[in-house]
Amino acid sequence: MEINAREKEDIVIFDIEGEIRRSDVSDITLHQLVKDQLDSGKRNILLNFQNVEFIDSFGVGEILASYISTNNLGGKLKIAKISKKLYLVFQVTMLTKVLEIFDDEEVALDSFNKE
Amino acid sequence: MAKSRLYRFLSRIIDIRPGEEIIASFLFLYFFFIMFPYYIIKPFRDAKYLYVVGSRELPYAYLSTAIVVGIVVALYSRLQARISRHVLIISSLVLFTLTCLLSWKLFQNTELTWMPLAFWIWANVLIVVLGTQFWILVNDVFNPREAKRLIGFFGGGGLLGGIFGALLTGLIGKKHPDSLLLIASGLILFSIFIVNLIFIWQRKKNPSNDKVLDKNKEGGSKPKKVGFIDSFNTIRKNRYLALLAVVVILTFIVATFIDYQSKTVIDIEVKRMDDYTRIFGYFHAGLLVLPFLISIFMTGTIIKRFGMRLTLMLFPLILLFCSGGIFFAPVFALAIIIKTFDKSLSFSLNQFVRELLYIPISPELKYKAKVFIDMFLNRFAKGLGALMLMIFIVLPQFKGVETPDALIESEAMDEPSVTVKADVLAKPDALKKPEGLQRQDESEVPDQRKIRVMIVSGFSLFFILIWVFFNLKVSKEYARTVKKKLEIKWDRADRMVAEKVDVDYTKLVFDTIESRNRSSILYAMHIFDLIKRDKLTPEVKKLISYKSDEVKASSLGGLFESGEIGLLPETDDIISEDVLEKEIGEIMSLDVYQEVMKSYVENALRDESMESEIAKMEVAKAIGLMESESPLALKLGDLLWDESPEVSKYALESAAKLRKKEYVPALIQKLLNPITREDASGALVKYGDGVVGALSDYLSDRDEDIELRKGTASVLARIGTQDAGDCLMWELEEGKGEIDTELIDALDRIRSEKPGVQFREDIVETKILREIKKYCQTFIKHFGAKSKRKKAERTKGLPEDLNVSLMNVFKLLGFIYLREDIMRAYQNIKVATKDSVDYAIELLDNTLKKEMREIVIPLMEDMALEERVKRCRSCLKNFSRPNRKNA
Repeated sequence: MEINAREKEDIVIFDIEGEIRRSDVSDITLHQLVKDQLDSGKRNILLNFQNVEFIDSFGVGEILASYISTNNLGGKLKIAKISKKLYLVFQVTMLTKVLEIFDDEEVALDSFNKE
Repeated sequence: MAKSRLYRFLSRIIDIRPGEEIIASFLFLYFFFIMFPYYIIKPFRDAKYLYVVGSRELPYAYLSTAIVVGIVVALYSRLQARISRHVLIISSLVLFTLTCLLSWKLFQNTELTWMPLAFWIWANVLIVVLGTQFWILVNDVFNPREAKRLIGFFGGGGLLGGIFGALLTGLIGKKHPDSLLLIASGLILFSIFIVNLIFIWQRKKNPSNDKVLDKNKEGGSKPKKVGFIDSFNTIRKNRYLALLAVVVILTFIVATFIDYQSKTVIDIEVKRMDDYTRIFGYFHAGLLVLPFLISIFMTGTIIKRFGMRLTLMLFPLILLFCSGGIFFAPVFALAIIIKTFDKSLSFSLNQFVRELLYIPISPELKYKAKVFIDMFLNRFAKGLGALMLMIFIVLPQFKGVETPDALIESEAMDEPSVTVKADVLAKPDALKKPEGLQRQDESEVPDQRKIRVMIVSGFSLFFILIWVFFNLKVSKEYARTVKKKLEIKWDRADRMVAEKVDVDYTKLVFDTIESRNRSSILYAMHIFDLIKRDKLTPEVKKLISYKSDEVKASSLGGLFESGEIGLLPETDDIISEDVLEKEIGEIMSLDVYQEVMKSYVENALRDESMESEIAKMEVAKAIGLMESESPLALKLGDLLWDESPEVSKYALESAAKLRKKEYVPALIQKLLNPITREDASGALVKYGDGVVGALSDYLSDRDEDIELRKGTASVLARIGTQDAGDCLMWELEEGKGEIDTELIDALDRIRSEKPGVQFREDIVETKILREIKKYCQTFIKHFGAKSKRKKAERTKGLPEDLNVSLMNVFKLLGFIYLREDIMRAYQNIKVATKDSVDYAIELLDNTLKKEMREIVIPLMEDMALEERVKRCRSCLKNFSRPNRKNA
């Protein structure tokens, strides 16, 4: 798994590539990366899942932990460009009740600005 | 922001912020130019009526005024809904200027006997309309925090106007009484200029406020039906407004009684008309100056120091004390004291606090209610008070209904009375009456009058107590109303996620899908878990049956419509879940099974090749299905330490099911690794209170890895029992502060999810003081230096360490006060608009105890960085004093 961060209008975008599995974690986790951004004062995080094939239960834990850390500080964490299969699993497990998921990155970025 | 000369001058007298000096001065002048002419008109009105019509006819004047004011309220309410505030105020001022001139002209004709009554009513309508308009404008311009600081100042403008009006009347009234009305009309006309300046300033300063100030000017919606009944219903249906109305009624009833008490006592003591005149001459002059001084120099300080609740209590409690004194000893000195307190505080502190109570109400309700209460209800309450006096005191005592002299002035409760001037204005030779002139009730025996005073004092005490009760109620409701102005922006997400998502089930679904292509054994065990949880719904069945590439290719809508089941074993058709669980349990508990599997497990554990990972995962998962006492359960300890995070994950899951004490050290150590942390944390939470002691040991061990200690704090928060809270609190008290943020966050989570868990107040208070000290030190470190570099950094906003410190202060406050209120205040301070900060501080002002309020609020108020640095320094100085040992 590879994660790259970029910034657009005070929103930190994490481009994730590969699978978010516990066996694929190298030196730093997604949650830790999110926490680092929060510590530097950022409050709006977008996870770009365009190149994420699948995630395991560890990945779910990472996303939820990142979401909780961000929201507890009054920030927002959203997801964009998720695969249909993942979206389906998110729906069945009701993660869509909590996580804001967008098809398009621009729409996701706009949604931050509207709040 | 550059500080103007006006600001520098005003800031020496009052607590004013840069940028407020112009509007505050305009409002000061506006009130000045309303009250100046009114204090010319008022004695003129009294004089004309008393000497042309006579005091016996005063009840007619009161009654007529009440009826006309009622009609004016109805008309005004309708106009207010249709015309912009600016136009309405200007029109009113023009109308009163013209009618004042008309009155001057009509008074030239002495044959118009109806004129004094008409003028009496007109003067009352003038003060009711102009006074209400002034306070509504104050409501428009300021929020509660600003108004609290400045209300004494611009209120003082009105009192100064009163002093000028009274002095001018005294100076020229004797020789040219009729010219006074010309002067008054000129002054009213001048106030139009001031009002225009206020609106111009407001538009320039904040164009969006036009919508508020010029309400209904441009709105396309049809104005709502408003009127007397509508205003009454608005008050009736709103608890806060209804309480406010009751407070106003009680205030004016008590004022009527107090006025009667004091004047009757003075009546008993003073026999001669010129003595009476002399006493009241000095007295009234003092009564105008005293509230002015209180307004300018004390009102803001008193409200700030004592808060709304205590300030609201101050006036009735003083009256209660004095009235009690008169009840037992109706002497001259006490009468003067009670009258002094009554007039000076009611025109300064009490009226201003009452005006502040309106500010947090929504504009739509406020304008309806304020017009009804201020214009009609207070007149009604005065009438009611007078009626009560007549019923309870006058009627039973005397055959004929004689209006007591004291009642003559009781209608003018809302402004310092200057009726002494009436003698001079209407009949310049009034003072030349023979000394010792007999007055209407002088034939009455002083003892009888003293008994009357005692009876009235008894009633006063009774009504004051009710007033105190309702003041308490209204102050509580005020805090609620302020709270409603502040939105909760966010809540702890952990609670929300726990409520909306079954995280264990979600993870199980992902694990099931993930395991399908890895191991049929793991897959079957996951299916079994889903069956046990009764979660193997048709949707889940289909979801976990599809291959990943199939799902990608298919549309979401069509997926569930497909009849294909894929690789899912059709277990539900063959066997029920209870039977399945029972059979698996029985097989796994067989000795022979344990014996056979033992060698398999040992082989798998010994094998260090990559291929053995799957086998270890299967074993780890299978152990979770066994009894905790089964021999193979002991092997889980080895699997927990396995290097593979996948094996660890299944081992941790099984450990959570078996909950053996032996696993705890391994589980806690797994908190260190970010990959296993979440699973280890979940497993430890399943142990509940049983693991709190062990976690506490790690938490308090200063030699332990700091990340591990932070992890244990998080687990204790998730356990969330009183014991867990106590451990965290103990560490917060005893610790060196290196993990304070994590401890405070953990305690905050408990507070959020389990409000029943109690925290020791003394520890929390001490910690708050320390955190504030830290905040001040950090603030000075960041912003105290004057170098250009530092100044440049200031534009970047608060550094994160200050944000964290501020958040910690509020989380800690939430442990000893209602968390929801504290978070509401914190989040709105973070929003950082002027109103959100001011309302948030107002909420804190009404929530925190005095000592805490005095420390926290000065640091939170909206101010320039330089000023905040000063306050931080001052705060640190206070901490260094010996009585602040805790900090």
